[in-house]
Amino acid sequence: MPLETESKARVRALISEFRPENGDLLATLHKVQHEFGYLSREAMEVIGEQLDLFPAHVYGAASFYEEFRFEPPAHTNIRWCSGPACRLRNSNGIRDAMLATLGLDEIHEQTEDGRVGVINGQCNGCCELAPMVWLEQHETHTVRPVGNLTAASAIRMARALRDGTEIEGALDAAFERTPSGSGVSNG
Amino acid sequence: MVQITINDHTVEAEPGRRLVEVIKEQGITITNLCYIDGLEPYAGCRTCIVEIEGARPTPLQLSCVAQVTEGMVVRTHTEEAKRTRQSVMSIIMANHPDRCLSCHRRVHCMPGDICLRDDVVTHRCLTCSKNYRCELQTSCENLDQGEFEEPWVGEARSYYETPPPEPDRGNPFLEFDPQMCIICTRCVRACDDLRHTGAITLSGKGHTTMIAFGTGGQVHESDCDFCGACIDVCPTATLMEKPNKWVGKADDWTNSVCNSCSVGCTISYGLNDDFGPTIVRPDRVNPASRDQICVRGRFHYDAIPDKQRLSRALVRAGDRLLPASSEDALARAVEAVSAVKQAAGAGAVAVLGSPMATNEESFVLAALARAIGTPHVDFASGAVHRAVSQALEGAFGTDRLPASLADLERSDTIVTIARDLEESHQVVALRIRDAVVKRKAKLVRISPMWSEMDGFSHAVIRVQPGHEAAVTQALVDGAAAPDGVDAAQWQAALDALAAAQADAESLATVVYAPNNQDVALAGEGAKAAANLAIALRGQAAPDHLLYMPTEANVRGATDAGIAPGPGGKSFAEIVAAAQAGEVRAVVLHGDNPLLTAPGGPAIAAALANLEALVVVDEVRSTAAEHATVVLPMAPFFASSGTLTNADLHVFRHNAAPKGKAPSGLSVLQALAQGLGASVAFESPAAVTEALAAEVPGYPTNAMLGAAPGGTRVVGSPSRASAQAVAPAPASPRGEGSRGEGELTLITGRSLYHSWEGSSIRSEEADKLHREEQAWINPRDAEAARIRTGDVIDLVGEAGTVHIAARLDDGVPPGTVYVPLYFDAGAVLALYPLDGQAAGAPAVRLRALQPA
Repeated sequence: MPLETESKARVRALISEFRPENGDLLATLHKVQHEFGYLSREAMEVIGEQLDLFPAHVYGAASFYEEFRFEPPAHTNIRWCSGPACRLRNSNGIRDAMLATLGLDEIHEQTEDGRVGVINGQCNGCCELAPMVWLEQHETHTVRPVGNLTAASAIRMARALRDGTEIEGALDAAFERTPSGSGVSNG
Repeated sequence: MVQITINDHTVEAEPGRRLVEVIKEQGITITNLCYIDGLEPYAGCRTCIVEIEGARPTPLQLSCVAQVTEGMVVRTHTEEAKRTRQSVMSIIMANHPDRCLSCHRRVHCMPGDICLRDDVVTHRCLTCSKNYRCELQTSCENLDQGEFEEPWVGEARSYYETPPPEPDRGNPFLEFDPQMCIICTRCVRACDDLRHTGAITLSGKGHTTMIAFGTGGQVHESDCDFCGACIDVCPTATLMEKPNKWVGKADDWTNSVCNSCSVGCTISYGLNDDFGPTIVRPDRVNPASRDQICVRGRFHYDAIPDKQRLSRALVRAGDRLLPASSEDALARAVEAVSAVKQAAGAGAVAVLGSPMATNEESFVLAALARAIGTPHVDFASGAVHRAVSQALEGAFGTDRLPASLADLERSDTIVTIARDLEESHQVVALRIRDAVVKRKAKLVRISPMWSEMDGFSHAVIRVQPGHEAAVTQALVDGAAAPDGVDAAQWQAALDALAAAQADAESLATVVYAPNNQDVALAGEGAKAAANLAIALRGQAAPDHLLYMPTEANVRGATDAGIAPGPGGKSFAEIVAAAQAGEVRAVVLHGDNPLLTAPGGPAIAAALANLEALVVVDEVRSTAAEHATVVLPMAPFFASSGTLTNADLHVFRHNAAPKGKAPSGLSVLQALAQGLGASVAFESPAAVTEALAAEVPGYPTNAMLGAAPGGTRVVGSPSRASAQAVAPAPASPRGEGSRGEGELTLITGRSLYHSWEGSSIRSEEADKLHREEQAWINPRDAEAARIRTGDVIDLVGEAGTVHIAARLDDGVPPGTVYVPLYFDAGAVLALYPLDGQAAGAPAVRLRALQPA
């Protein structure tokens, strides 16, 4: 039944420091998701071997948490803040506008080419920036908060991302400015 | 024992026992939807609430958690206890279609009726396949749930408006319909704690909690072995057998036994008046299997469709087999055999029996052979069994060892010499896992192949195929690690054995399951296994050595007389003689040697060379294609008799009648009478009596009835004679003789193949189509430029097997594994007829077009 593959060996090497019965499961899951962007079936099997757990138990624990993914993430994820302050400043409208621009029906979906996805986010307290989203790229481990959006800027941003622009370019398009530096982007 | 009071009756009970078990034993119906007898309470459903006098903080207590104490006063059906259970039940049903469960009109409803409460069709009990055998339904009835004033009466409920989750119908055995689930987690715990498989888990959280298989995919992608332990405990229609699910309501149950392997798990067929056996549940008679069986026991009775079974006799007319009346066919069979006997003497007739048939059928077949006057009686794997028997007799004075399968789960050290018990004898593997998980027993595996059991092993000794005996003997001798064996694993094994030797109080068990393809090797392996048991337990060795034949009733068939008489030929000799024209007629009963014996082409040629071949079988097997006459008999599940399992229990098998074919016993008896035997048994029970009178140790009907699970035919090994037997000189089989680019062949029983299906090349032989590949080590595959899925030819001296390849680290470099039942035993063509001298056969790989 077993067949060692390159991808299995990569997971194995990545989590070799973790031991069974040390309460290491969540740390292992975090590390694997950080590296690969999601928890594949194969990865969960290797984690099970390493920690002496059945793959089903690894999945059972991981599926409890919203943040663990079981499918590869989109190239760029728009993490939409679902907090109350943002909602007061029309974040629902922004969400719907972005989904419509990207041709998605619901949150947690991604475009067919896998370039852009929209996922749910939780309030992190910087409500003066409401309504806000974070743009995330797993490959480069980039997280870019974007605040004070309007429906119009959100649509421009989503459209730019959809058309293949990277994060900075999308922000420039969103706020109609010339290419600029980093920091919190603010309409 | 202490005395407690339940509903004003004084009851004796064991202190510390879970109260709910005692209540149920008293015949009191009490709802309990999450408790599994014998396991720790989960206390999730809370429907087992009873009143316990003086309990704190409230007299209302969970009877699954409460433990029996002296003087306990319990009331199960007080107004308050009942009302509390009802309210708990109403919460459970908030997430289950419940309209019918609390409807007083349900008894009047027919499936086509319009629901007067406006309930949609998909949410009605009447359209649920578990209707009338559903634990949740029964529980609601017992609780008079209809009387309970639901808090949401009259309100719109989101349950009925959200679309139900998708059912998983992706595999042929188990249906998983999550919309019925009440999250009792019985299946999760059964899979973990009863099977140690861990294929089921709870996923998600809060309102979205659901059970899931493996890593959230479909059932067949998980570790699930389809044993069905979860089906047995599921209180709803969430986990169901897929075959016969709409007709699974049993009108009666049998006490029977499975004939798929030599564990002999006792099972109960649920009989539907219109459809025959439609469902199987474990029957607790066998002390080793108890409440557990495997996919074969649960589903193989249904392995092939009825229309593929024989219903009419067939008689040869030129190239074809044409239907005939049973009288004509019988007369023709008698005439054909008698003609050969008259022309060439009784020695030109041979009788081949079946290690899957009942003792009674074998007994009558032996009488038939005596009537003909031929000593040439055997079954395909008879020589393998006799080689093992001889080795055991050499060591212990008898081959009927008292070691018991029920001791496995109590063992502290277990050594298995077997290719893969998980695949060949799954319930034995389960009891070994029990010992490893619950007692931290040390398991040493000696095998040429990977198995799921590797994960439970203390040491895995990976040997080249054919080296099992030599390596085991080296372990007994405490020698250095043989070539190719991992030194650390070898040392771990030696340490485990030394620890077992040092602690005489601990229980050590050796399990030996010989390969069916090589007689000499089977004998050598038995000697080595006996020596290992003697090294571990000295004079008590016979109590600690389990011999597991491949087929179910090898012991019984041999004991009932299916073995060569004085001067008689063994199976291989019969085949050779038939090829040479010395044996000219064969009576073949209940087996297809093309499927189980090495040397397929030689056997086929021998069968084709016969003047008369009378086949008595339940299916039109590939061997039957050569027949002069084919007499149909009822399938095994529809015949009565007894079976002798590996640890020498004799279990009664009661028929689950189906179809019109006569029982094998009556067909054999008619045939025997035609050939001049004076057998006239009125019933299988009469044969049992005759068998008991003739074969020493066999039980009479009265003994079987008095102790259904305790009747054994153990011999009395002379303790003093437990002596180490001289092992054969370690002969490097395969390895040394293997040429450049050749691979040594491994084969054996796999889990999902059914006997009957494979025997007739049925598509249904492997319903999952999971085992139709040859396993090749990636190193060999790279050298031969093969990828997984490529179709390859395995070319041996005697033939070629055409099969898809699978790269797998489970086989060592230089070997290839082909499942025995692939393409009706095609791999057996690569083995020589007398597997002795030639050693494990070598094959060459030929890569064909990628699939």
